[in-house]
Amino acid sequence: MAEIKYLSEHYAKPEYQTLDGYKKFGGYEMLAKALKMEPQKIIDEVKASGLRGRGGAGFATGVKWGFLPNNGEPRYLLCNADESEPGTFKDRVMMERAPHQLIEGMLISAFAIKSNKAYIYIRGEYMGPAAILEKAIAEAKAAGLIGKNILGAGFDCELDLYLGAGAYICGEETGMISSLEGLKGQPKLKPPFPAVQGYLRKPTIVNNVETLAAVVPIIRDGAAGYRKYGTEKSAGTKLFSISGNVNKPGTYEVPLGYPLMDLINIECGGLKPGRKLKAVVPGGSSAPVLTAEECKTATLDYECLAQLGSMLGSGAIIVIDDSNCMVDVLSTISHFYHHESCGQCTPCREGTGWMERIIHGIVHGHGSEGEVDLLLKIADNMKGRTICALSDAAALPVLSFVTKFRDEFEYFIREKKSKVRGGQIYAQISH
Amino acid sequence: MAIAIEKVKRAEATDTWYMPGILWGLLLTFKSLVLNLIDYIPSVVGVKKRQIMPTVNYPEEKYEYSPRFKGNHVLTVKKDGSLRCTACMLCATNCPADCIKITASEHEDPSVEKFPIAYEIDILRCVFCGFCEEACPVDAIRMGPEWQTPGVNGSEFIYDIKHLAYRPQLKGGIVSVLDEKERHEAGI
Amino acid sequence: MLKSVTSSGVAAPQATTGATSPQAKMVTISINGKEVEVKEGSTIIEAYYQSGLDIAHYCWHPGLSIAGVCRLCMVEIEGNPRLQIACNTTVVAGMKVNNSSAKVKDAVKWGLDFHLINHPLDCPICDQAGECGLQDQYMKYGQYDSEMGEQKVKKHKVVDLGPRVVLDSERCILCSRCVRFTDEVSKTHELGIFNRGDRAEIGTFEGKPLANNYSLNTVDICPVGALTSRDFRFRQRVWFLKNAETVCTGCSTGCNVKVYFNKEGLFRMKPVYNPNVNGHWMCDVGRDTYKFVNKEARLLEAKVVSSGKSQEMPAMELAKKLGATLRGHGTSAALVLTGSYSVEEYEAIVSYFKTDVGTKNIYHWINNPETFDSFDGLLFRGDKNPNTRGLLEVLKAQGISGSWKELVDGIGTGAIKTVVVAGPENQANFPDMKVKIAELSKVAKLVWLTSGKNAELDALTGDVALLPVKSYVEKAGSFVNHAGLRQQVDRVMTVVPGAVSLTELVDLMKEVGDAMTVKSTAATETVPAISANQIGQGRINNEFTLSRGVW
Repeated sequence: MAEIKYLSEHYAKPEYQTLDGYKKFGGYEMLAKALKMEPQKIIDEVKASGLRGRGGAGFATGVKWGFLPNNGEPRYLLCNADESEPGTFKDRVMMERAPHQLIEGMLISAFAIKSNKAYIYIRGEYMGPAAILEKAIAEAKAAGLIGKNILGAGFDCELDLYLGAGAYICGEETGMISSLEGLKGQPKLKPPFPAVQGYLRKPTIVNNVETLAAVVPIIRDGAAGYRKYGTEKSAGTKLFSISGNVNKPGTYEVPLGYPLMDLINIECGGLKPGRKLKAVVPGGSSAPVLTAEECKTATLDYECLAQLGSMLGSGAIIVIDDSNCMVDVLSTISHFYHHESCGQCTPCREGTGWMERIIHGIVHGHGSEGEVDLLLKIADNMKGRTICALSDAAALPVLSFVTKFRDEFEYFIREKKSKVRGGQIYAQISH
Repeated sequence: MAIAIEKVKRAEATDTWYMPGILWGLLLTFKSLVLNLIDYIPSVVGVKKRQIMPTVNYPEEKYEYSPRFKGNHVLTVKKDGSLRCTACMLCATNCPADCIKITASEHEDPSVEKFPIAYEIDILRCVFCGFCEEACPVDAIRMGPEWQTPGVNGSEFIYDIKHLAYRPQLKGGIVSVLDEKERHEAGI
Repeated sequence: MLKSVTSSGVAAPQATTGATSPQAKMVTISINGKEVEVKEGSTIIEAYYQSGLDIAHYCWHPGLSIAGVCRLCMVEIEGNPRLQIACNTTVVAGMKVNNSSAKVKDAVKWGLDFHLINHPLDCPICDQAGECGLQDQYMKYGQYDSEMGEQKVKKHKVVDLGPRVVLDSERCILCSRCVRFTDEVSKTHELGIFNRGDRAEIGTFEGKPLANNYSLNTVDICPVGALTSRDFRFRQRVWFLKNAETVCTGCSTGCNVKVYFNKEGLFRMKPVYNPNVNGHWMCDVGRDTYKFVNKEARLLEAKVVSSGKSQEMPAMELAKKLGATLRGHGTSAALVLTGSYSVEEYEAIVSYFKTDVGTKNIYHWINNPETFDSFDGLLFRGDKNPNTRGLLEVLKAQGISGSWKELVDGIGTGAIKTVVVAGPENQANFPDMKVKIAELSKVAKLVWLTSGKNAELDALTGDVALLPVKSYVEKAGSFVNHAGLRQQVDRVMTVVPGAVSLTELVDLMKEVGDAMTVKSTAATETVPAISANQIGQGRINNEFTLSRGVW
């Protein structure tokens, strides 16, 4: 097994960005095919393909679509392009290289769930991808692919782009819905779930960019064709964003179930000479860290990583070699979550700040004994106690870092200097 | 069941007779008289000797109690001379004699927020229990070594802020040294 | 205690949301191992309240929507590995809920700690101390030593949100109750939460202060001392105050209220939940109605002016003199009534005038006829009298229907020689006060019964007598609100010992109740000293405890 260009087959071709270029490689043919199908047939096909949400939670897409109530209310399809998990940049590549693939996937999905209005909610900082998408949408509109009576099949669907204001929390589906409604981007209390009462209190489906784009090859190859790749429970391919101490960081598409070490050593060209692997964060900064030992057996699928106590998440792999102090890494991560907590639920609002201040104190040599255990206690009590998963996302790295690299934290507190970098001043974290 | 009987020794006349005690006391008085005279004579001729005379010429001469004596109240001040008191009324709440009356007001400095515009202690009601001092969370009220409270009419026994914090004996006020930062560092 | 009875012959009071209907279907669930019956469709937190059990919470309020942000009402539901919040989980028959397990207790303790780590703990200067949700729940569910050793977050202090409300952001626990109140109840949307994370603060939009007529409800529902009332701020510590329930006399809605007082007088008013009248709320105008009751606004002694000389005397003496003058006075005497008095007083004085004085010249002084029927849609009504409806019913029952014009004409022609005016209690609600005084002072002898001082009345030089009457907190009686709901209140306290109620006045004038009995009631009605027990009650008697008896 090696890297597979399945979704990203034509990503290297610049003309793939344009409508004509996209059509050259069979673009929008699947939309025409889908519009002739029964919507329920598409849902069944997606269900059968085993496609799972690529945004982080990994919930089965077809099952999610099946939650929509049949009450005659208008339905909405929202594409979550608010890719802000630290370490993740695969959606960006997809939107930049193949905007029409996303649009086609969305139109098929909208048809399947009988929605006449779809939005792409794109992250505020993604002005470049937004401009490309904007252009692609305009092209598609001009070509009659978006709007009334698409391809003469009697299906109407409007598609619009919405630029967020750059908040991590708007990547959470209900937070995104709040933001789209013009409210403060704060997650909403569940139940009711978005599938029942979402955008404007109407049934709403929120899917990740990669998920929606993957619908196109599923229609093309059928469920069985898609299942050629990946494992039984984690079907298909996935784009991984690899960053950190590797020679060739970037976005790579591999089938699910691919060994983690192969991806690092073969696709990414391994670590810098003389460095040793220390840890890997396999699914974006909120995923619990894996030690080098654990990485040896890790394969990139939902089940294996869950078994290792971590998660596949959005597929953002952060490789950490032995030149890094884990206290510094956690300090950066906890600063991020403190900054991004929406402030709604008390455990997250106060806990993220508290943890950051403690870790910050340790990094600056003010740590005191017992703070390692205190961190564990705080994180433990933030986990699963809030409306959305940001609290968990902030707590899990702390729990895993402190548990797995406890010696580094204790050394730092005791000696007032890093076990790895010594007394050297770590770049000041801006506040 | 047998009842245990214990014989109690009753006091007899020799035990209850007061004369020995009185004589013992008078002996002490007499001793002081003699010693004072012995002390006094050399001082007349100009030879300095140890002064053990236990009497003072009150009211010209005043006896100072230990600084730890819990006498009249003092309101402490901050370094800038303003009152330390935040008008939280915990002293008034705690006062068993109900002798403290505080009128609070909004301070123009938002970091101070609340302060007393009137703080009155009715010293005639006060029982000098020290509960006010105990209750105070900010070291604003202390009980000082002064114990003389003369006055010629009732109003002089109601001590106001001017008396409690700035009476001449306090020489500009007792500074409570803890400021905000020090309090934080001390974990108060 | 407040009693509500519907007077006969009037429409039933409109039911507001939250009223309990006996028809509600019940389901059986198990709470802490105890089987209880709760209303179907309730949330778990409501189930706790319905069955009189305790549960920690801050952001949930029965009159507001569910926010689910304080994460304190954690419960363990059998079959669910994760703790759930009770406020957003609906009960299902057979559900087994538990909030007494060690797991829940630990979660609540940590929930409290998260609330408290950035809370300034300036209780000594915080007005909420003594009725604070953080203090109460810490004593109940917390009692741990905080491990927080870092610097607390600094935020804005003493922020003016509007003319009546002051904000201290550091104390705020961001439960969003006040924001939800302005969004859902007053629908004025002034407040919002700005910034995010632990830097989040409550605030108003620029140029849009919190200035609606219900703004002080936000202070009531604030579980901590973040929102304080400018009026009450720093005036008293709450544990020095006692409280009693009565009815607001600010308008004809008759909101159920609690007045807070000590021996110096009244200090503030807060609403008491009554689903048939005011729900959970009351208006800011109503909250000011304690001010005219306090001593500095009151007429303390009766005053008689005749032939240019004024003389002060006890009210009882004047009452007896009046009785002697009025007895058998006949139709040359007239009575003017305002809507400020209780039904019992109206009955006594109207029948006295009909039988003992022998006149049916009884007139109703309507204060602001233009706005009389107006209503702001929530609570506040244009009829700013507590008992207009009660007065009209008494007049109707006694067969009296005099128009104001008859009175003016009678004074003009000299047919009416003596006028007794039961003047308004809250003079600010009577914009025509000056006009009416001028109109009525043309009569040969004017007797003005008033609870408050009035400069114009003091300046009158003719044959005038001023008699102090009791305000609404000083007497028992019943008031009929706009919907015909008759609400009976008890005496709260005595502010002016020399004042009499209209019933007592009639008794004195009839000389049936001798001077001693009246005097003795006045003398015994002194404010009892605050006992430790009452202080304790005042402290726990806030909405975080179950002792309110509304659920």
